[in-house]
This record gives sequence, structure tokens and C-alpha cells, in this order.
Amino acid sequence: MSFQLRNSANRRRTLRLAGVIAAASLAVTLAGCSGSGGATTLDKKAKVTIEVWSGQVDAAQKAIEGLANEFEKEHPNVTIDLSPGASSTDQLLQKLSAGFAGNQYPDMSYAFGSWAGQLEASGRTLDITSEVAKPDVKWDDFTAAARGTAQPTGKKTIGFPAVVDNIGLLYNKTLFDKAGLAYPTADWTWDDFRTAAKALTDTANHVYGYGYSVSGSEETTWQFWPHLWQNGGDILSSDGKKAEFASPAGVDSLTFLRSMAVDDKSVYLDQTDTKFGQLFVSNRIGMITSGPWQLSDLKIGGTKYGVMPLPGTNGDHQTVSGPDIWALFDHKDKNRAYWATQFAQWLTSAEQDERFNVAVGNLPLRASEASSEAVAKESALFPGYDVFVANSKNVKETRPTTKGYAALSVAIGKAISSVLQGDGEPKSALEQAAKTADSEMNK
Amino acid sequence: MANTAAPAIRRPGSEPADKRRVRRTRGLKSALTGWSFVAPATIIILGLSIFPAVWAFILSLQSWDGFSEATFVGGANYAQLVSDADFWNAVGNTFGYTILFVPASVLLGLFLAVALNRRIRWMGFYRTAIFVPFVASAASTGILSTYLFSPQFGLVNNVLRVLHLPQQGWLDDPHQAMLVIAIMSLWGSAAFTTVIYLAALQDVPAELIEAARIDGANPWQTFWRIVWPQLAPVTVFVTIWQTIQAIQLFDLVYTTTRGGPLDATKTIVYFLYEKAFRSLQFGYGSAAAYVLFAATLLITIFVVVYSRRKGTEAF
Amino acid sequence: MSNSVLAEVVTSSEQIAAQPSAAPRKRGRRLSGWHFVLFPIALLFLIPFIQMALASFSPAKELVAFPPPFIPSHLTIDGYVQLFGQTDILLWLGNTILVSGTAIVSNLVLCSLAGYGFARLKFAGRNLGFLMILATIMIPTQLLMIPTYILFATLGLLNGLGAAIVPWLATAFGIFLMRQFFLSLPAELEEAGAIDGCNRWQIFFRIVLPLARPALATLAIFTLLGAWNDLVWPLIAINNQQSFTLQLGIANFQGAHQTNWSLIMAGNVVATLPLILFFLFAQRQFIATMTFSGLKG
Repeated sequence: MSFQLRNSANRRRTLRLAGVIAAASLAVTLAGCSGSGGATTLDKKAKVTIEVWSGQVDAAQKAIEGLANEFEKEHPNVTIDLSPGASSTDQLLQKLSAGFAGNQYPDMSYAFGSWAGQLEASGRTLDITSEVAKPDVKWDDFTAAARGTAQPTGKKTIGFPAVVDNIGLLYNKTLFDKAGLAYPTADWTWDDFRTAAKALTDTANHVYGYGYSVSGSEETTWQFWPHLWQNGGDILSSDGKKAEFASPAGVDSLTFLRSMAVDDKSVYLDQTDTKFGQLFVSNRIGMITSGPWQLSDLKIGGTKYGVMPLPGTNGDHQTVSGPDIWALFDHKDKNRAYWATQFAQWLTSAEQDERFNVAVGNLPLRASEASSEAVAKESALFPGYDVFVANSKNVKETRPTTKGYAALSVAIGKAISSVLQGDGEPKSALEQAAKTADSEMNK
Repeated sequence: MANTAAPAIRRPGSEPADKRRVRRTRGLKSALTGWSFVAPATIIILGLSIFPAVWAFILSLQSWDGFSEATFVGGANYAQLVSDADFWNAVGNTFGYTILFVPASVLLGLFLAVALNRRIRWMGFYRTAIFVPFVASAASTGILSTYLFSPQFGLVNNVLRVLHLPQQGWLDDPHQAMLVIAIMSLWGSAAFTTVIYLAALQDVPAELIEAARIDGANPWQTFWRIVWPQLAPVTVFVTIWQTIQAIQLFDLVYTTTRGGPLDATKTIVYFLYEKAFRSLQFGYGSAAAYVLFAATLLITIFVVVYSRRKGTEAF
Repeated sequence: MSNSVLAEVVTSSEQIAAQPSAAPRKRGRRLSGWHFVLFPIALLFLIPFIQMALASFSPAKELVAFPPPFIPSHLTIDGYVQLFGQTDILLWLGNTILVSGTAIVSNLVLCSLAGYGFARLKFAGRNLGFLMILATIMIPTQLLMIPTYILFATLGLLNGLGAAIVPWLATAFGIFLMRQFFLSLPAELEEAGAIDGCNRWQIFFRIVLPLARPALATLAIFTLLGAWNDLVWPLIAINNQQSFTLQLGIANFQGAHQTNWSLIMAGNVVATLPLILFFLFAQRQFIATMTFSGLKG
């Protein structure tokens, strides 16, 4: 009996301890909301340290480090605490979430565009709308999609565009020559595309006409949006509350992809997001729809390739863009806010952007850069780069940046993935996904 | 026939006072000794874990997207889990994998440890060779899996082709993908059980084996009757540990199939990872984590009670 | 405590080797049949490392292809030149050695003490304490990253090597492992010591610990592995590039879209080699250390 007593005493003690800790952690969680305060009036000469997470690796990271040093030299009172943060989507998300929860977030961070809605809703970002309205910022020089991502709800501007891209059609000249096919042109339709894919496919030798990711991630989803938009469909209703991709336009789009994958069997279905690019480099896939980041691997691999805008529907060759942003965060310190904004603005101005984005193979942020020497140089190094730059004009719609986009993407990604692998019909799969997306978005 | 032996009931005041005092002092002394041994490690481990565990539990009662304020939803996450077909699919996948993996892992480790427990030349080389895959990260093992088991380009199907055997879907086939992951997982972690058993075999007294041999037992009998019972505590450890690892399978799935094809390899932890870091539903993911925790705790308690009841002194 | 009892009870491996044993040992040049079993198995297990090593000497052109050739068309040290010349790999290596070394020493001391306590000593709260320790490994770590981050932020431990070291000072794995090992040792040894008048500490240090060499070697190996290869936590907790560990540095060769395969392969070889060498050295502890000459079984 004494043992039981001792045990229950232990238990009570442990429970009480747990209760105390629970209360403490609740307090910490709640306390984590309020940022620490700093300078309340702007003093441009005061000593300031701003923390920047670049989200870059390798050459890009070195380029930014060089630029940060330059900025520090020009403004001696500013110290930039630059670190990579993290290099992949998942890791940067963890870092930012942990940073927010632990009140350790930076002043400026690379952020993937699909989080823009969430970031704004978090209430921790700066609103630099008044800053970017100034003429010397040349805000309208950024592409529409880039501006839209930095202004997710249109109410606030939470940062500057960081990286823009778009998807084009990459074709493997070696395989086209082998099959005796004419190269794609800028006027191609999706039927031309399908025919070519079928002709390129050689099942016995494991050669495919097209490659598509069925991992269910954003890679699966965003490749679908050009089809939807070209067919006249919409992703979301104008109030952003209802998913509208289960329309006839959506069903037609998915049916087209399905016919290629299941009927023609001309599509390599990639369970990951990276293999189809590698297979294209290795001359095993004839065509892929991808972005300028493929070019450096193609160069290393020595592949013979060409780049065209996406095939079109009724002359509409619109494509999708997935801009990422430099999100600016609020630490209730006017000096930090000022200098973080200044650095982001300086970094994304035409002159610096040529030395950063263009130099590492990303597309130029600003339309004015298209005719610059830097772009010409990059196009000489990486054939097809100029086609991607020109393709920016085909970016007409912005990928949604509402809070619920992440959940919507997962829902439709799953539907696309299943249908392409032969499990389910386009109409019912899309309708089911739309229902799931609606309930998740309006939680 | 009921056993009528009554349990000894100690009535307060039935002992002489000085005997009680001695008992209490001895109890205090043994408590002090005991805690002085375990306290440093225990304080560090529990100190670093209690707050995160409680925080994660509170999170499971909330809805949080990682950036904004969390909102309290009570048991809604748990209720939603019960009717989530995706979740139960993940539970089924995890269960299937665990049943495959744990016994195979223990037996493979045992076999390899016995094979490696002899003094022949190059034994250091052999032991190290078995250890090498374990050192490789999940990313490397994942990449290797795709090289080997890619249906179109992988080595295994190439070998099958040469042998005129039918090509398999492997990692692209929903019915085979989990099997492939189990095989690669076994191969990658074989060293874990092997090394532990190898160490345990060193502590089996040589006299017992000698005695058995003198008594005329063959190697098979010697092993299963004499050596195996000596390994019981370590076997319990390895079984529990590998079960916990199997239930929490994530890394290899992430680097090979991302839960596909068609969710055939989506394990519970992959499910919660997707919910938290893809769909930005941290509260929901946390609820799944705690369901997993509860299940693991129950299984562990079951194994402990079972081994205690068998009287093997193993736990 | 009399040394004679000790000498009777435990015989070291050297003495075993010196004594004539009952079973004749195989002498001469006869090749054991076990080589035919073990060699193919060893080769099978070694393939990934061979592949990784070959890939680290492959030209970048062949690494972007899928599947990459097992044997490269020609060998090149470009990956290594880039690794040692343009990255901080040696700094990362130094940091990782520091973190892992501390982890090993700390675990060997703290977990053997705790493991023995939980195995052999009876005290209030023992079972509950052990169960709680076990329970800490039952929650998937993915979700514990964020609250652990908050905890470390509060303690001011973020960003330095301390963030990488502190979680590895003691592990539930270590305690559990040592406990089970101590349970498998026959209790008679310790009882003999107690009869002779030794207290718990003496029994632990003089009788039990010397017998635990294989277990300690095992603990050292797995602690090293865990601390060395830890990636997800240091990724979140450490921003300061001077405090990067190996895995963290290598992870930064891989971006959202671009991957520098030559660097990654070379980096992986550099990261894996020390572990293999450590194991080669540590597994020599796996020799029988126990035999009773003074006790009848």
C-alpha cells in the first residue's frame, strides 16, 4: 500500500509539473506574438544591423554576399547579417515558422511566392506600399505576376519581388532528329505537341515524348494552370473563396493530359519532381515544360536542346509564373524597417539585378533589363535564355496568393496525380478536389 | 479451485517503530543512490523534451499555419482524423511496413552477428562492410534506391531482363513500392541490429557454451537453448526500438517516392509532414503525431508486459 | 574490496587468448568456409559507398544524367578541388568533430550511469522515470523542431555550436541500450561484490563497467553516427556559417532547383570516411570479455 501511495504521490507531482509547464508554454506561445520594440523615430545615420536570410546556395549566395558588402561600404552605419537561411522550400518554411514562434525572425527573407498570402495574414510583415509608390522605385517595371505576388491581397505590399520565372517548352534536338520530326515552333498547338510526343515515344528503348511530375506537389499543380487558363478557366472565384478549376475548361485540360499519359502512353510519370529534368538531359525524354533553371544542367550535360514558348490554344500561349519575394518583416523598429527596405530596393533595382539574378541564370526582374548587355551575355552562355525572357509577356495571370492556396494545391495535385496514373476520371476527380479545397480554404 | 492465499496487508502501526525507521532510511538511501546514478542523464533528456512535447500537444488542439496566430479548436483535429481516409491509408501502410520490417530486421541482425562473431581473417573488413550502408544518409540511400529500382532504367530490372524474367514496376507500382522501401531499409539498417547483437554475444559466458558442447549439444541446439535466452534483454531492446523506428518511417519515403505512387508508401509521419509543411496545417499534423504517440506507447507497454509475463527477466 | 575476488571473477580477453582452450583453434592456411558467405555479402553492402566514391571522381557532365554511369568515362578530382578550395569543408569537419566528440564522451558517462541505475537499482520513481524517457522517442521529431527552437531561443543557445551539442549530451537511446546490456549481465557478479562489502559505486566501476566494453563501444558508435549525421535540427538552429557542421554545409550545395552534384558527392565521401574509420577501430572491442573462472554457472 505504501508503494501505491508513493506512486500516486509521484503521479500527482508529475501532473502538477506538467500543468505548470503547460501554462508556461501557453504563455510563451502567446508572448511570441508581440515583437520586441525598437527605434520609434527614423534616424538614417544611426547604427543598424539587419538580418537577411537569402535562401540561396553556391554561386547565388556568393553573389549576394558580394552585393551585401558593397551596400555596407556605401552605408557604413548599416551592418547586414547575411546567412543562407535554408536552401529548399521545406527547410526555409520550417525556419521561418520556428523563427516566428520563437520571435527570432529576420528583417528580410527570401520567401516562396505560395506563402505570400500566409505571410501577409500573419501580421508580421511590413507594408511598404507608400515606399514603392515613389517614382525612383519604378514599381511598374516589375512584371505583373511579380508585383501581384508581393501584394497578395492587394491591400498591403509585403516586400519586393526576388526571383521571377516562367515555364516554356524545352525540346531535345537529338531525339527530334532521330525521329525525323520538325522542331516545335512558336505557333504550335497542343495537338501538335501531342502528335510529336507520340512520335517520339519508343517504349522498347525507354524513350518518352513528355515528362510530368505526379508527386502531388506544387510542381504537379502549377504545370496544369497554363492548360486551365488557355482553355478559359479560372483557379479561384474572384472573391478567392471558391475553387473553380472543376469547370469544363478544367475537365478538358485534365482529359487532354490524361489522354497523353494513359492512352498514348507517351508521358514519363515522375514520382519525384527532379527525375524528368535529369532524363531530359540524358536524352530519354523528348520534351519537357520547365523553366530557366534547367539551362545550367543542360549545359553541363552537353545536351542539344531548344526553347520555345508553350504550345497554345487558339493563339493563346499564356504560361504560368511562380515569383518568389524578398519578404520584409516588422520588428517595430523604424531604422531596421527603413534599411531593410532600402537594401531590398537597391538589390532589385535594374543595375544590381543584372549582377545577381541575370548573372546566376534567373530571369531579369524588370522589363527594362530585357535589352541590357547582361541579358545578351547570358543568352550567349545559355541558349534559349532570351526566349524565356521574351516569354515573360505571356504571363498574364497571377498564381493565387491567398491564404488557402497551399491546401488547394495539395488537393488538386492529388487529383491530377491519380488521374494521370490511371486512377479515376477527370471530372469526378476535379470535383472532389474542388470540394476538398473549398473546405480547407475556408477553415 | 481458487487460490486463497491472502495478500499481506501491512496495517499502520503493526511494525515496531525502529524497524520502520530503518526501512525508511534504507529507502531514502537507495533513492539517493539510485537518483544519483540516473539524475544527470534524466534531467537533460526530460528537460529538453517536456516543453516541446507539451507544446506539440497544445498545438494539436489548435489550428495554425506556421505564420499567423493559432486558433483554438479543441478536439476538432482528432475528430477529423477519425474520418480521414488518407490518414487510415497511412496507418495501413505503416502497419504493413512494420510487420515486414521488424522481424526481418531482428533476424537478419542476429544472423549477421553470429556470422561475424568469429576470429577469421579480414573480420574487421567484413564487419565494417556491413556497417557502411548504415552510415550513408537517407538521401544517399534514397538516390541509390531509385538507381536500382527504377522500372525503366534501374539495375534490378536490367538484371531481370537478362534473365528473361518479367519486368516489375518496383517503385512505380503501388503494390510493390512499399516492399522495395522495406528491402532498402533493411539493407541500410542491418548494421544496427547486427552491431548490437554482436556486442551482446560477447557477454555470453564461454563456460555455458563449453558445458553445452561437453553435454553433446550440436551448434543449433547450443544456440537456441543456451545463447538465445542470454540475448533476451537485448532482443527486447532491438524489437522495441526497431518497432518505434518502423512506425516513424519518413526519411526513405521522402527521398524515394514522396509517398507515392498513389499514396501507396505514405506513412503516418509522411502524412503529418505533408499536412504540416505542405498544406500548412500544423495543428492537424500535430494531432496525427499524438495519435501515433499513443499507439506507440500502447505497443511498447504490450511488449513490456508480455516479456515480463514470460518471466524472461528481459525487461 | 579484495582484488582476489575481482581476479577470480573476471578474466580479460588477453588471458583467454593465453590459456589453452578446450576447443582446438584452427591453425594453418586453411580458408574458413565462412569467407564464401561473408565476402559476397560484404560486397553487396559496400556497393553504395563504392558508387558514391566513383561518383565523386566523375565529371559533372555524367552526374546530371539519369541514371549516371556506375563507372565514369574518366576520373577527375574537380569535385575535390572545388570542395577543398572553395568551401569551408575543413571548418565544418572541425565543428562536427567537436560536436560528436563531446556527444560521445557525455553519453558514455551519463548513459552508462543512468542505464545501470535503471537496470539494477531499486528506487522510488524508477519505472515512471524510465517510461517517461522511453516516451520521449515516441513522438515524431518533425513536429518537435519548432518548440525545441523556442526552448533554445529562451535559453540563448541558438546559433552557436551549443545548439548542436546540447541535444546530444544524453540520449534516450543510450540509456535504454545500456540498461538492457546491464540486465543481460548475470546478477551473481554484483552480488559477489556486495557480499564482499563493496558499495554500489565500487560495484559499478570495478565489476560492471569493465565488462561493458562491447556495450560502450556500441554506444559510442551510434552516438557518433547520430550526432555526426544530424541535419534537420542544426539546419533550423544554426544560422552562423562559422558554426556549420558537415551535413549542414553539404546540404547547402543543393538548392531549390540547382544541385552541384560533384560537390555533394565529394562532400559525402569526406563526411562518411571518418565514420567508417572510427567503426573499423571501435569494432575491435567486440571480443569476448567475459568468462567465469571462479563461479559455477
